[in-house]
Amino acid sequence: MKIAVCIKQVVTRDWPLRVAESATWVRDDDASFEMNEPDAYALEEALRLKELLGGEVVVCSAGPARVSQVIREALARGADRAIHVEGEALAAAEADAVAAALAGAMEGESFDLVLTGLQSDDQGFGQTGVVLAERLGLPHATIIMEVDVADDGGSLRVKRELESGWFQWVSMPLPALLTIQSGINQLRYATLRGIMAAKRKEILTVPAQSAETAGQRILELYVPEKSSATRFIDGSAPEAARELVRLLREEARVL
Amino acid sequence: MALRRDLAGSRRETPEKADVERETLDVDVLVVGGGPAGLAAAYRLARLNEERGGEPLIVAVLEKARAAGAHMLSGAVLDPSALSELMPDWKSRGAPLDLPVRDDRIYFLTAGRALPFPITPPPLRNHGHYVISLNRLAKWLTEQVEAAGVDVFTGFAGTELLYEGDRVVGVRTGDRGIDRHGERKPAFEPGVDIRAKVTVLADGVRGNLTKTLIRRFSLDAGRSPQSYAIGIKELWDIDPQRLAAGSVIHTMGHPLRFEEFGGGFIYALPDGRLSVGFVAGLDYRDPLFDPHVAFQRFKRHPLVASLLAGGQMVRYGAKALPEGGWHALPRCHLDGALIVGDAAGFLNSMRLKGIHLAMRSGMHAADVAFRAVRENDVSAGRLSEYARLVEAGPIRRELYPVRNVHQSFAGGLLAGLLYSGMSLLTGGWWFRDPMPAHAGHERIRTVAKYFGGAAPPEPPSAPIDRELTFDRLTNVHYSGTRHDENQPSHLLVADTDICRTRCMEEYRNPCTRFCPANVYEIVDADAGEGKRLQINASNCVHCKTCDIMDPYQIIDWVPPEGGGGPSYEGM
Repeated sequence: MKIAVCIKQVVTRDWPLRVAESATWVRDDDASFEMNEPDAYALEEALRLKELLGGEVVVCSAGPARVSQVIREALARGADRAIHVEGEALAAAEADAVAAALAGAMEGESFDLVLTGLQSDDQGFGQTGVVLAERLGLPHATIIMEVDVADDGGSLRVKRELESGWFQWVSMPLPALLTIQSGINQLRYATLRGIMAAKRKEILTVPAQSAETAGQRILELYVPEKSSATRFIDGSAPEAARELVRLLREEARVL
Repeated sequence: MALRRDLAGSRRETPEKADVERETLDVDVLVVGGGPAGLAAAYRLARLNEERGGEPLIVAVLEKARAAGAHMLSGAVLDPSALSELMPDWKSRGAPLDLPVRDDRIYFLTAGRALPFPITPPPLRNHGHYVISLNRLAKWLTEQVEAAGVDVFTGFAGTELLYEGDRVVGVRTGDRGIDRHGERKPAFEPGVDIRAKVTVLADGVRGNLTKTLIRRFSLDAGRSPQSYAIGIKELWDIDPQRLAAGSVIHTMGHPLRFEEFGGGFIYALPDGRLSVGFVAGLDYRDPLFDPHVAFQRFKRHPLVASLLAGGQMVRYGAKALPEGGWHALPRCHLDGALIVGDAAGFLNSMRLKGIHLAMRSGMHAADVAFRAVRENDVSAGRLSEYARLVEAGPIRRELYPVRNVHQSFAGGLLAGLLYSGMSLLTGGWWFRDPMPAHAGHERIRTVAKYFGGAAPPEPPSAPIDRELTFDRLTNVHYSGTRHDENQPSHLLVADTDICRTRCMEEYRNPCTRFCPANVYEIVDADAGEGKRLQINASNCVHCKTCDIMDPYQIIDWVPPEGGGGPSYEGM
């Protein structure tokens, strides 16, 4: 089975972020980067499927030159080769632009299965995979918790995570695109031999096509204002609880 | 008498179960540690492979940080002499040496004033040097080393030395995927035995492998005890108009008293970025001394506060540094192994510089290792050529004349300054040479002794405003430190009963003060059983201060799972 995994390089979680001077993105000139977490699970799932069914795992990433860090990491964990769509503007691009850049480089490859993370840790649109499926003309399913490939290798049964602890099993044909939920499997470590082998693996770098007119752009990025207020709710416990729920729902809007 | 326990030989070793199949990897030279010393050694070996022809030596570098350079912390002002010899074309290769030092200033600080030194003493003149980020230098050097054909494995800690008899034959990397109870997680990956003809130990200040080696073979016999300092540093973004890029400022005095060794530094990087730090000797007597508080008080001094006002702290880090100098160098060659850089203690505390000496020592080690492997003789006798190169070359030329400088400060700041000034004329001569020295953990006094039995006065403190001054936890956040929480503690305290009994009584738990990262906390024990030590191992910034300074010497710093630790991007 020929599997593609799309990975994104994001600023390390919990990194002390600062808004860039342009106020449309974070300062990432001296940030520390890592592989987007759900993408790491997508990669692991692809490696497991390959171990089960044979075939090839190709990692695809769109971003500036620094993205080679996560590409090499993916190759060290066991991916066979990589496609890097390189473009400075892709660092903070919206989902549609990223999907378009990836689709352009992936079209000719005729993958049987394309896996992406469910969403990115930075922008978190959860759209790149879905738009990519559309652009590649593939059926897709999102928030995948389990992947079963039929014995004949021609179709899939996948488990989707719904709200409130509900799950849904979906049967779908191949080729297809799945967006993978974190925690679907246990991530493996890169081994010394894997790291050495990764050096000899092919990374195909293709320049990003000049972006189509952006469908959306970030107008302003700001740090949420911290405010803290304490309010005491009087009354008996049941009354106070009712009032608390009302306030959380109507004023704080967290419920 | 201080209680000593020999912690050599790690108790962290996972019991060897029959089903562990360890991979082995054979190389000619293994370099442990991807800092300036280790990377200089690796690059030199790659060059020798190229220049000498023949079957090339296989060279590999192990680095415990998850990314190249991520555990590198220094001021830093770089003397480029060693780099220029290692790689004459560093400029065209894009070395991150962009900013020459434009001026040097030294101040003596009183609580409210800054008195400039009329002249800058020669050792502190930085003409021809560069203000750099050591993190960037190491990252760039790693790229050069990899491009030259060396495998650099980041995210792998060397946890044990491999021996055949008394000969070092390589290193075992740490097991990964062990949970906090010592059980294997599903992703368990056993460590790898990397076997090497020569192992170059570049594991940094108080290196975990070098430490066991020094103990096992008494490599420090007849040498002065190593002394250390802790450096704490922040990066700030300020108005670029306030201090021209390339300005270098050093301070002495406030907030330290005459009896304490150390001082502050301020280096101006481009675009209004400032490197602000403080170094405090880990040989203070006052058990209540707190380096973190000293740094906050330094920032509140008008000289520093006026520079930082309105600016933003963007990064933080802390690391110990070896200060003992020439007399404290252990024997650095033995069967199958060489010790380089901070691991050995190649640092000039008079010039406040070590990067160039670390690189130089790495280059010497590479020259010797290359010849020894080619000649198929890696005995201590053959490798002793390393000691001869150090003796005959620029390292001794630089370190020998200042061999007693740090030790002279044991008599206080004035004695130290007087001696240091004189040593420029006398070449370091003193009536007793080596000048007597004591390990820092032996100098720290009990509360009763230090305060003569009287109740200690309230120690100096600094208000935390989270603009200019910060608490430890906020600082740790800015160090980018991360460890997998579900792993065994990598700070082994041999006997935690001592913490809640003797140490609490005698020293008032100095670990809660000298650790800059809030790793050690004394908390209430369950059910009214008094107090107990809590170890927040995931905060650890790998500075090694606890291992050095603990008065009972019962703390053993061992590497956490590879990849854990700070992320000193841009530091």
